Amino acid sequence: MLRLSDTLRRNLLTQPETGMGYQRVDATLRDNKTERGLVFNAELLVLDGEAQATRRSYPYNDPYSILLKSAPQSGVEIRALRVLPREGVAFRGLETKALEKKAGSAKDAATEKTKADEVFKRFSAFPNDHRVNADGSLSPGSYATTEEDAKNVKTGSDAVARYALPNSDPASYRFTIKPNKDTEIQYGTVEAANGQPGGGVEVIFTTGTQAKTVTGPDKIPDK
Amino acid sequence: MRIKLDKRWSKLLRELPESGMGYQRVDVRLVDGRELKNVVVLNAEELEAPNDFALTEIKDVSLHKP
Repeated sequence: MLRLSDTLRRNLLTQPETGMGYQRVDATLRDNKTERGLVFNAELLVLDGEAQATRRSYPYNDPYSILLKSAPQSGVEIRALRVLPREGVAFRGLETKALEKKAGSAKDAATEKTKADEVFKRFSAFPNDHRVNADGSLSPGSYATTEEDAKNVKTGSDAVARYALPNSDPASYRFTIKPNKDTEIQYGTVEAANGQPGGGVEVIFTTGTQAKTVTGPDKIPDK
Repeated sequence: MRIKLDKRWSKLLRELPESGMGYQRVDVRLVDGRELKNVVVLNAEELEAPNDFALTEIKDVSLHKP
């Protein structure tokens, strides 16, 4: 967690928000590596890779003003920040109007149909995920994410943060879902909750998926 | 404190929609009249109850309505 310099702050203020009060960014670090994160109020940067304990402290345990005061200055640690385009958050390359529609959570979105060969991922802290049925189907009302969004998740802890999961145990079991064409689905963006920043794409299979559409899980690193 | 739910409740929850990936927010009514509101159940079987909560027999579990 870093407090941004005035220069970085001014730069962010010229760029659009990703959601109310925050921007999803790629930060270029001192060693020229890039790390994704969230900037709150154009001033407080929380990188995706930060310890869960740090991430959980915002905004529930400590008032924002105290966090901001205690956060070290970004100084030379951050060379540059680039706000991800909204397409980078919702990913599907849809027209602007459709993207705006998906800015909220999936449960509030209109029901759509999946396209042929679309792939989704589901992260779970449990290898015996009870939403995955013995016949390889997914129960109605189950959540998942797009294959594209899942590429941002390298560890089980990433999944907890990105999908704002209430269980802090790493969701390191990754299931793959390949539903039939025209399966009912709702798309949305995960809102900050449970002390986690959210920001990932979420989908709900409102009527579940068909038999033999779920495989896995494969195990990704916890941290 | 995590409490493993009886199979009966787990079966019921598996048939109800999730609140997010891998969890449901539920209200729990106990036979002694107490209620737990808006608590998390993981994987349709692990109830996250307050640490000081002594769980007696569950009378009903329903999805929490915000």
